[in-house]
Amino acid sequence: MPQSIRSTTAARAAVFAPLAGAGRAELVEQRLTDAIVLGLLSHGERLPSETEMARQFGVATVTAREALEALRAKGLVETKRGRDGGSFVTSSDTRAASIEQRVRELSRVELRDMGVYYSAIACMAAELAADRATPDDIDQLERTLTDDADEPRARREEGTFRLEVAALSQSARLVREELRLQAEFAPLLWLCLRDEEYRASSRAAHRSVVEAIAAADGSLARERTKNHIAEAIEWLLEAKAIMDA
Amino acid sequence: MTLATATNDCVAAVCATFGSVFAVIDEWRVSIETLIDASAGILDSAQVDTEIEALVVPELSSDGALVIGAGFVAAPRFLADTDWHLAWWLGHSNTFGLGSADPSIRRLMAVEDEFSESFRDYTNLEWWRVPARTGTRHVTGPYVDYLCTDDYTLTLTVPVTHGSTMVGVVGADLYVNDIERILLPRVRAIAGTATIVNASGRVVVSTDVHRATGSLLRSPKDGAVSKDRAAPSDGAADDAMVTCGDTGLSLALTVAG
Repeated sequence: MPQSIRSTTAARAAVFAPLAGAGRAELVEQRLTDAIVLGLLSHGERLPSETEMARQFGVATVTAREALEALRAKGLVETKRGRDGGSFVTSSDTRAASIEQRVRELSRVELRDMGVYYSAIACMAAELAADRATPDDIDQLERTLTDDADEPRARREEGTFRLEVAALSQSARLVREELRLQAEFAPLLWLCLRDEEYRASSRAAHRSVVEAIAAADGSLARERTKNHIAEAIEWLLEAKAIMDA
Repeated sequence: MTLATATNDCVAAVCATFGSVFAVIDEWRVSIETLIDASAGILDSAQVDTEIEALVVPELSSDGALVIGAGFVAAPRFLADTDWHLAWWLGHSNTFGLGSADPSIRRLMAVEDEFSESFRDYTNLEWWRVPARTGTRHVTGPYVDYLCTDDYTLTLTVPVTHGSTMVGVVGADLYVNDIERILLPRVRAIAGTATIVNASGRVVVSTDVHRATGSLLRSPKDGAVSKDRAAPSDGAADDAMVTCGDTGLSLALTVAG
């Protein structure tokens, strides 16, 4: 039910509720990733120790460690040494620095390939949403659009908008994939939102996709989504060229 | 079996499936309304939580339970100690939640601070808005619930009142998968094409394999979404919409030939 409901302080404990089944490290990783993307766990927040996390999830310590390592590799979690050390959700400052580092480390081929994959998911979601959204759904989608212009807000809006469109596709798998890709790729893909001019054009792109969905025009919704993401990729590659120079 | 018999049988199956869940929700509604009336409408969140947990956890723990999440959502500023409140529990098949007495049942916590960036006003959402407007039960979905069930879901809600004021809703979540499993054999008995749609014209289940759950049932003539065209339940008319009791769902029939 509570689609409405972004989880909370108290709900963070929910993130560590016991898991059952195979692929436990992946499940732990997935749950923490979702929680970070959805804002349940906030930037800079300390995570429980490996032992404590293992206990809460009901997994072996080695499994919790494996999941944390995967999250570190994705730049979602950072580890600090010393007395006040431990694992933390990457702070926004560190994240900004680590994003630049990742952009430099990844090749153009890899970045373009990520763009293609993300675009495949987002375009299909937009196309299906155009066929399946009711006028009421469209009203709700419009509520995710703002006129605000600062970067954190623009990023949140981007994430919420894609997630809502994915939900309108009526595909649970597309929604899950969208969440996963947002965690892995959104900070890189939407690097362009640093640029105020681009934030305005991105908002306009969201509106134009909503219009296409409202007109039940699936190919137009797909086309506009594809162009929006393609522009972001081109921006990213230009930025990389400047960083690499 | 005649078409009329098969149609009536199918409508009965829809009413029975949803009706049995609504019957449980209604019992919860009566209990919570009794508690509210007994305290003259002045309650805090802890009292509500205790009551709701005792009501919904047995249902969520029962074998083969259809209900995968359930609880009470308070009207803004109804409770004495908090403006917004959700008392919602998740069954064993949900992976989001917080520990409770039964390890497989968890509490869903939500952002209740309206100044938080993550806060969203739930009174805008269909499962709240429609019962608030109509004063009666409502089926929301099928929809992808990415924060609670992480799956394709139907949410059933009923308004809770104190005097003439709506003070909240009680409700339950069901998986669309389970509903398909239950209803598909019943709709298959109908000759021609039979499709169960919600009040927005969204397909819940259809005998036509090409008619996807979640798609909107559109008129072949003008592409308009087929809804609110409920015909008398005589089961004999061609291309009829038969209302399924007070569930808000309809059975759309296209007679073969």
